Amino acid sequence: MARIQSSIQTGSAEFRRHYSHNRALAAELHERQRQARFERPARDVERLARQGKMMPRERIEKLLDPGTPFLEFSTLAANMAYGGEAPGASCITGIGMIQGREVILCAHDASIKGGAWYPLSVKKIVRCLDIAIENRLPVVHLCDSAGGFLPLQSELFPDKHMAGRMFRNQSILSKMGVKQLALVFGHCTAGGAYIPALSDYSVIVRGTGAVFLGGPPLVKAATGEVVTADELGGCDLHTRVSGTCDYPAASEDEAIAIGREIVAQWDCPPKWDIQRDPIEAPYYDPDELYGIIPDDIKRSFEMREVIARLVDGSRFHEYQPAYGTTLVCGYANLWGYKVGILANNGVLFNDSALKGAHFIELCNQNDTPLVFLQNITGYMVGRDYEAAGISKDGAKMIMAQVGSHVPKFTVMCHGSFGAGNYGMCGRAYDGRLLFSWPNHQIGVMGGEQAAKTLTEVKLKQLERAGDAVDQATLDKVYNETLEAYQHQLSAYYSTSEVWDDGILDPLDTRNALGIGISAALNAPPLERGYGVFRF
Amino acid sequence: MGATTPARFTDPAMSTSFPFTLGGQTHTLTIRARRPALVVEVDGRCYTVREHPSAAPGESTLRIDDRLHEVTRTRESDRIHVKLDRTTWSVGYEDPVTAAQHDAGGDDVLRADMPGVVVSLNATPGATVASGDVLLVIESMKMQINVVAHRDGTVENVHVEVNQSFDKGTELVSLHPNT
Amino acid sequence: MLDSILVANRGEIACRVLRTARAMGLRTVAVYHHADRAAPHVGLADSAVELHAEVPTAAYLDVAQIIAAADHTGAASVHPGYGFLAENGDFAAAVEDAGLVFVGPQPEVIRLMGDKVHARAFAAEAGVPLAPSALMEGSFEAFLDAAAGIGLPLLIKAAAGGGGKGMSIVHDAAELEARARTAMSEAERYFADGRVYAERYVEQPRHIEVQVLGDGRGNVVHLFERECSVQRRFQKIVEEAPAATLPAELRARICDAAVKLAARANYRNAGTVEFILAPDGEFYFLEMNTRLQVEHPVTEMVCGIDLVEAQLRLAGGEGLPWTQDALSVTGHAIECRVCCEDPARDFLPATGRARVLRVPHGPGVRFDGGISEGQAVTAAFDSMIGKLVCRGDDRGQAIDRAVAALGDLTLLGVDHNIDYLARVIDHPAFRAGALHTGFVTEHADTLGVPVLDADARAAVVIAAALGVDDFRRLAYDIPEPYASIGAWRN
Repeated sequence: MARIQSSIQTGSAEFRRHYSHNRALAAELHERQRQARFERPARDVERLARQGKMMPRERIEKLLDPGTPFLEFSTLAANMAYGGEAPGASCITGIGMIQGREVILCAHDASIKGGAWYPLSVKKIVRCLDIAIENRLPVVHLCDSAGGFLPLQSELFPDKHMAGRMFRNQSILSKMGVKQLALVFGHCTAGGAYIPALSDYSVIVRGTGAVFLGGPPLVKAATGEVVTADELGGCDLHTRVSGTCDYPAASEDEAIAIGREIVAQWDCPPKWDIQRDPIEAPYYDPDELYGIIPDDIKRSFEMREVIARLVDGSRFHEYQPAYGTTLVCGYANLWGYKVGILANNGVLFNDSALKGAHFIELCNQNDTPLVFLQNITGYMVGRDYEAAGISKDGAKMIMAQVGSHVPKFTVMCHGSFGAGNYGMCGRAYDGRLLFSWPNHQIGVMGGEQAAKTLTEVKLKQLERAGDAVDQATLDKVYNETLEAYQHQLSAYYSTSEVWDDGILDPLDTRNALGIGISAALNAPPLERGYGVFRF
Repeated sequence: MGATTPARFTDPAMSTSFPFTLGGQTHTLTIRARRPALVVEVDGRCYTVREHPSAAPGESTLRIDDRLHEVTRTRESDRIHVKLDRTTWSVGYEDPVTAAQHDAGGDDVLRADMPGVVVSLNATPGATVASGDVLLVIESMKMQINVVAHRDGTVENVHVEVNQSFDKGTELVSLHPNT
Repeated sequence: MLDSILVANRGEIACRVLRTARAMGLRTVAVYHHADRAAPHVGLADSAVELHAEVPTAAYLDVAQIIAAADHTGAASVHPGYGFLAENGDFAAAVEDAGLVFVGPQPEVIRLMGDKVHARAFAAEAGVPLAPSALMEGSFEAFLDAAAGIGLPLLIKAAAGGGGKGMSIVHDAAELEARARTAMSEAERYFADGRVYAERYVEQPRHIEVQVLGDGRGNVVHLFERECSVQRRFQKIVEEAPAATLPAELRARICDAAVKLAARANYRNAGTVEFILAPDGEFYFLEMNTRLQVEHPVTEMVCGIDLVEAQLRLAGGEGLPWTQDALSVTGHAIECRVCCEDPARDFLPATGRARVLRVPHGPGVRFDGGISEGQAVTAAFDSMIGKLVCRGDDRGQAIDRAVAALGDLTLLGVDHNIDYLARVIDHPAFRAGALHTGFVTEHADTLGVPVLDADARAAVVIAAALGVDDFRRLAYDIPEPYASIGAWRN
């Protein structure tokens, strides 16, 4: 496999302009993540300390194997919701390593509103359990939650993928034979009581841990019984009398030590063995990614330069290099794993869609995981293209992608607009993990295009109605549309809504994908077979 | 929102660590990195470690930073006997669960595992007891059972009297925490 | 020549005697208590007989069982080793009464030298120099007066004692009476004989002893001297041959005195005459040990002979193997007694299991060991588990080899004094030969466990940690790409 020949001019004005722009975006990302992870009101920090509790991240750090990575999902979930009251949606999820085993961690953050679940908390937790199911990853629950955030109960309780889905997912994991451990550091109230109850193993901390379907206030309201949390559902009741929890712990440190020892007992089922070579770092400096990504969502860039800074040795075996050139397809190694990469170098045409579909089939034939690097404004539109069957060709690409039995991963590198999102494995298409870059924007169409379109629509409206066309009205429509779109197009909005599994600093992409691929191989291949390709 | 950022938990350095005792002092060890070589942190200082096994079992050559050492070692439950170059040491190690229990002081209250009757009491508040000392004798299911102290400590309170019947889970004796 | 032998002992000396006996073609019998069933000496003999006793040491003191074992196995002779029954005249007599050959001196000589008061009187008659002393011949008060007349400091010793047991130093006249009474009751308790005597205590003495061999008919040769000055609580730690420094003339006088004493007793077989050498060059008779000593190998290595072989030949009726002229010393040998004890806790005996035992080899290196790898070390027996003996062309080379060999000797699973021994013999004062019986006390500060710096401590802890499976797995068994990505957070 030959190394990609980079033609980036790192000294050029354009490179330098892009570089400082993207460095600033990355710095902003890190700062916003830092705040979401670590800044808490003093009184909440003090309350936890008074209760003898650790902060949730301290629990995670002590639980994970030293010197190993933690791929955290959706750090900035809910960053644009609830007035910013619930950073991270008051929970921490991700993939980590405990005693050499890959696990999903799901921790409630009691330093935010007692760990109460907002609607986006539920969505984030359901998502991490979906990841556990799809990848057959054992789960460690770090329980410390006041339960559902009642003022928003209608958005987190009744529907199919709301709170009940957490416990349905736990039951499915169990049915699949995937292990779950619950470490009860605080309250498991109402539905939350099901977390340890549905887990295979549970550890509970004496004095602070409690499990009850109804907490003391509810019990008092319902029956008049006055009882403390500890009496109602504390450590000793559940480890000696009810059998709901398995191991009593006198301290959080002991609970964590017991938890690690439990995980050490778990066997490691064999993983799907795909092609692997020795690991090699990229030849080109990944730092140069900052200079490659444009500072304007409408400008495109050469995806091969991005690939060169993600893959082992910067080596890439390109498929159909002369055909369908707006979609770059080829094989590379990523952390030693062979992967098939599809990356957008422009809009999708008939030929690029067909090339994509065929390459996806080749990767499935070869048991090679797929990595989609998106920068797509859509498929080519126009009569000639329709006549040539571009709708069919786009459909074939979607059909191939959906029929894949290999794991799929998606990185939103820049724009993801319209139907191009679909063929390139957008959120709806069951990629194992989907990440965005800070510069990413997603929408049915770009902001300016939408503003122009809606201004055009308004103009037509006014003309049909025979009203005077007032430039100020048109400008207002344009600006308001643009502003609304800008708000909802940004990566921060989509990550807030948990439309992705997190925003990554581009430099972190390689590590995130490496961990993702490794984790995905805990699950066997999906069922083979495609639907009907409309030829 | 008033913000505080306690430094301690922003530090990825406070990871899982292992305590070892040497000459009465505890030294904490953790793993910092594994590639290209193992890097281990001991009491806050990092060392690069490479180990090459020798032909004889239990023997190896250990390179720590740029120093080479001949090692022979054998483990015996909570002690590791190590010969490093020419000198022999005995290093203590406690599995993490036991170590955490020591730190926490363990469970301070002894409860009845089953219903029964108190036959005799040995413990009195304020008494110093050693692990294994019989604190009281109970009768249950036609058997007399010694309830023993699970750790050294001082008796804080005796909650039952002779001839008193009790249910499962009843607190029998409590020890002072951290004694 | 003897055709068979029973070795009535255990540990390293039993192994050592059995080896020579086998090499000489004798049929060998070992005896052992159940506690010693895995001990190496059991496997080194052609046959082994189990001795029964509640307390393990009692088995090796059981005269009747031992003689019965010899009778049962048809062993023609008995070697008592050292300690246990080696200097028990009744045992020697019982062996001979049973028609067996006792590899050692005559029972009456054993008894004579075993009684320290009689031995001293005998030495005086032989013209051997003695330290001023006082015996308890009359009243207790008369003894105290005579003792006070010796001058301070003085030593109170048990008449029936020996090997450094039951002795105490009196520095202050005021404590003389109390100490004497304590010594008497202790002597009664340990040796069943409450007699004590007092002797001038020489400050900073050196302990010089002479190996002798006699044919029982008045012919005695000496195999030169050994120095055993490095001691703790009257127990020898390091011995060497020849003495660290000794003018030739003084050596000759000491050796001659030893021969004179042994010849006068018509000494039979091997023995050692022990002397105190004062800083002023005066030497005084201490006692005679009517047995093979622990430190005999240093003599063997510088004289190039096998003392046990000599013992067996003498016991078999042969004459002395060498004339005095044929014997000479070449080079220097040092012996370190390897004991299971905890130097950090005042050398209290330690117990455990010899999980790893690797013995050093090399030119001039000899290790006489008494335990096998894997064997338990208990409080049942003496804490010495072996002797490391190194020979060099001169004292410096002998010390160098011994230091290196101690470094190569590996014993894991029970506390030991190996590292301490290396510090002792490598000490500048030891290398300079500035020896006396207070050596380890004088240099206690510099002989302690060295303080490690942070890096050295870390090295020990790291070496230990890699012996813990849980830690090892975390160090080595983390899969890729996690191991290469390391402590990354996105």
